[in-house]
This record gives sequence, C-alpha cells and structure tokens, in this order.
Amino acid sequence: MGSERFEQRVVISGVGQSAIGREVPRSGFQLTLDAVLAAIEDAGLAVDDIDGLAMFPGGGVTHLPGYANGNLYEIHDALGITTTWRQGQVEGMSLPFYAPAQAVATGQARHAVIWRTVKEGSAARRAGGRPAYGSTHPEADGPLAWLLPIGALSPVCQVAPYATRYMYEYGVTREQLAWIPVTQRRHAALNPDAVYRDPLTVEDYLGSRMISSPICLYDCDVPADGSTAIVVSAVETAPDLRAPVRIEAMAGVIDGRPTWEQWEDMGRVGYATAAALWSRTDLTPQDVDVAQLYDGFTIEAVWWLEAMGFCGTGEAGAFVDGGERIALHGQLPLNTWGGQLSGGRLHAGFGHTAEAVRQLRGEAGERQVEGAEVAAVTNVGGIEAGAALLTRW
Amino acid sequence: MDASTGIPPAVTDETEQFWANAAQGRLVVERCQTCGAESFPPRGICRRCRGRSMAPVEVTGRGRVYSYTVNHQRWLPDLEVPYTIVLVEFPDHPGVRVIGRLRDGDPPRVAIGMEVEVGFEPGPGGFAIPSFVTVEEAG
Repeated sequence: MGSERFEQRVVISGVGQSAIGREVPRSGFQLTLDAVLAAIEDAGLAVDDIDGLAMFPGGGVTHLPGYANGNLYEIHDALGITTTWRQGQVEGMSLPFYAPAQAVATGQARHAVIWRTVKEGSAARRAGGRPAYGSTHPEADGPLAWLLPIGALSPVCQVAPYATRYMYEYGVTREQLAWIPVTQRRHAALNPDAVYRDPLTVEDYLGSRMISSPICLYDCDVPADGSTAIVVSAVETAPDLRAPVRIEAMAGVIDGRPTWEQWEDMGRVGYATAAALWSRTDLTPQDVDVAQLYDGFTIEAVWWLEAMGFCGTGEAGAFVDGGERIALHGQLPLNTWGGQLSGGRLHAGFGHTAEAVRQLRGEAGERQVEGAEVAAVTNVGGIEAGAALLTRW
Repeated sequence: MDASTGIPPAVTDETEQFWANAAQGRLVVERCQTCGAESFPPRGICRRCRGRSMAPVEVTGRGRVYSYTVNHQRWLPDLEVPYTIVLVEFPDHPGVRVIGRLRDGDPPRVAIGMEVEVGFEPGPGGFAIPSFVTVEEAG
C-alpha cells in the first residue's frame, strides 16, 4: 500500500472535552465552547488558526431531547473566526473525523474542528426517564415511520433484535456478554471524568431490569451531559502542533439495507467496513494495542470485536468471558475510558476518538495502556459503520 | 394490550397505499412487474432489477419470526408494557421483512422461527399497525 491514502495527509491534532456528567448545569452552547476551545488548545493552536467548522448532527436533527450542539453559525460567531469549510453532518458520518479529514486532505481547510454536544442526561431527568426517540415530533418520518408507530420507540428496541438473533445463531450467553460492561466499569473507575465509577459485578448485570430483551439496563449507554471536540489538521502543520496522532487508515462502508429493521444478517455487522479498513493498511488486528469500539449497547462492541477480526464470528462471548482479554493489561484493552456504557453517551465515536488520542500520546493517566502505538476506533455499526486505525506520531 | 399510545407515521406518496390497505387489514408490499421481485418498504423501484413498474401485492400466507424483542421500558407516559416486537419474514415472499407487534399472550410466547399469521391492530393516531398472531400448534 503506497502513500496515496488521503487520510495520511491529515492528523488528529487536538481533542477537548467539557465537564462530563449525568447532569452538568451549563447550557449546551457553553459546553460546546468549552470543548472546542479545549481541543484547539490541546492541539497547540490558536483559535484564529481554525478555518473549518463542523458538527454532528447538523442542525435539523432533533429526534431526541438533549441533542445540544447549538447552532453552527452562532458558534462560528462566538469564536470570531474566518472559515473556508463548514458542515452540519448527518448522512456520511461514519466517523467523527471522516469529513474533516476529507476537507483538510483536499485543501479546503488546514485546521478543522468538529464537535458533538449532548444534554441527554438532563433531558432524561426532566422527562422522568429516557424519552422516546422521535418524541419531539408529532409524526414519525423516514425510516422511523416503520419503527415508532409499532412501539420500537427507542434505539434499544431497534437494536435488541440484533442481540436476540446474534445470541440465537452463535449460542452466546448474557453471562458471557456481561463481562463487557463489567470490565469497562473497572476501566471507568480509573477515569475521573467517567459518569459511573463504582464497581459493577456480573451478578449486578444479571439482576438488573430488562429494557428490551435481551438488552438489560447495563447493556445501555448512560445518557449524559457533555461535549467533545476534535481538531483535524494538515500533516504538514505537524511542527506547529503539540502532539499530533496519525490516521493510518479509515473506512465507512454500507453494504446492506441501511435501516435498523431491514439489515439482512443481524448476526453480522460492520464486516464490510472492517474489510475496507484492513485493505488500506499493512497492519493487522494483532498490531492493535488498544480498542475503542463503539458501545451504545454491549452488542455493538460485540459486532466490532468480531468484524474487526479481534476474534472469530460468534466467538466474542468466549473472548470476553472472564474479562481478562479485554482488561487494561489484556491482549486487547477495550474502551479504556469506560466506553459509553460507563463513561457516558458522548455519542457517535467522539468519546472513543478522544480516548484513542490520549492513549497514543501516553496521556491516559492511571488507565494508560503501556506502549500503546496503534489504536482502533469504531463507530455505530447499524446504518453507518466507521472504523479507523490511529497511530502514535 | 392497547397499542394506540405512541407516535403515528408520516404518510408519504410512497407509503400511502400501505397504510390505506393496513386500515382494511391487508398487508401490501411491492412486486416488480418486470422481474417479479418483491420489496418492502415501498420505494417505487425494484431493488433487484431497478425496474420502475411496481404493483401492490397482498401478503396472505404465514410468516416466520426472524428476530424479536420484548420491550419492558415505558418510553411514553401512557405506554402499556411489556409488549413484543417481531421481525417477520415470509417463505412465500422472499426479500420481504416486516416489523410489527405480536398480539396474543401477556407476554406472548415467542421464538425465532415461530410461525405467525398476518394481522393488524389499532395503533397511534388511528392508524392500523402491523400486528402478528401466533399460529397455535396442533394439539
């Protein structure tokens, strides 16, 4: 593989996060500014260096209360910058840094920042529980028109049939899968910014209430308040940057029906993206030192463990059983910040990307994986599916 | 079990025929007049041959449960729980999968591969929503 991959013309130069918590008493707009300014400083740049601005999702997406990105133009105005590239991202958002990387690699911007801000923790508290997806709309449109009217009112209901089918096809048990949230909670205990840090046991998991079978409470990520911003810079600016991280390869493929209920093989998700990713690098799954795999639900991390080739199809249950292999000192430390299951639903791979960058820089504190040189980052799986390999500078 | 609490569908030019037939208790999908492939949801194009001449065809035979979930969470204030959501495929209609509720039982007996009959029940906003019924085994 030569040096023609566009993602190698860019680096991730900065990551920044606001305060993160179940509830943070600060507006989404201010959380966004906190994260954006922190990310720019983290990159070693000045605000005036930023000439590309993007957010996910774009302004029109309000399916869930607590989507709190703010307005891109108002953030632009608040920063007082000049930009050559702007984007509100929805479709095509396979990875948080995918579109910024395209913009920077093609010279449309030199330093582009993208953010994702959630106030879903506060929204859930106000609603007296996790609100229905689409509850802000009087009617369900697009793909949701088939889901919400029959009672699939949440991403939990939409993803649960995947877990049912996967467990049926491969004989994987809840007792095995429990080790994903349990192990990630151990990691969260070492992350001062994680939402939940108290120990979680397999017994706690098996005793927790069912949300949409077989997905129980601890299989679901934690609605949170917080913002994450990521700065993508042109590789030639590296001398100006504090601690850049390389994008070795990235991919986002859709090779099946991209609606939750129509995906053909619910036991296998993310495989085309993973195959495209590995075709863009000489690295192999054995080279990955730390994995930040999307975990909106436990089953999504399972998809990626298997699709990425960290274990075989149907083997994730045995792979995670006992937690040793995915522990900080195991062969594949998984979601070292606690993931969305314990660290908080920062959504769409933003929290995962921030942690991958920290690990590759050796800035992950007590949860640092020693000698981490290659990090895998994945996002979602159903509908959009993104995967990347980030490497130490 | 009342299924009328919830969010109704926005009806489009493509889906109007489906919902109108649903109100009459008929499950209608699209059949390609060129190659015969069936498709759902309706898109006005054949997903196999890209033919643009699609006609409605009623699904009457039994379906099989591809997967399911039993939802216990009260996502909306008056939502009655638990209820079962099933993804149903049809041996006589390859390529068609329909998501709906499973109506009988409390909660109903459900398993992958189980046979169900097509049905509907009153859903949100006065719409009839897909709602399947378990085929009781002989004896």
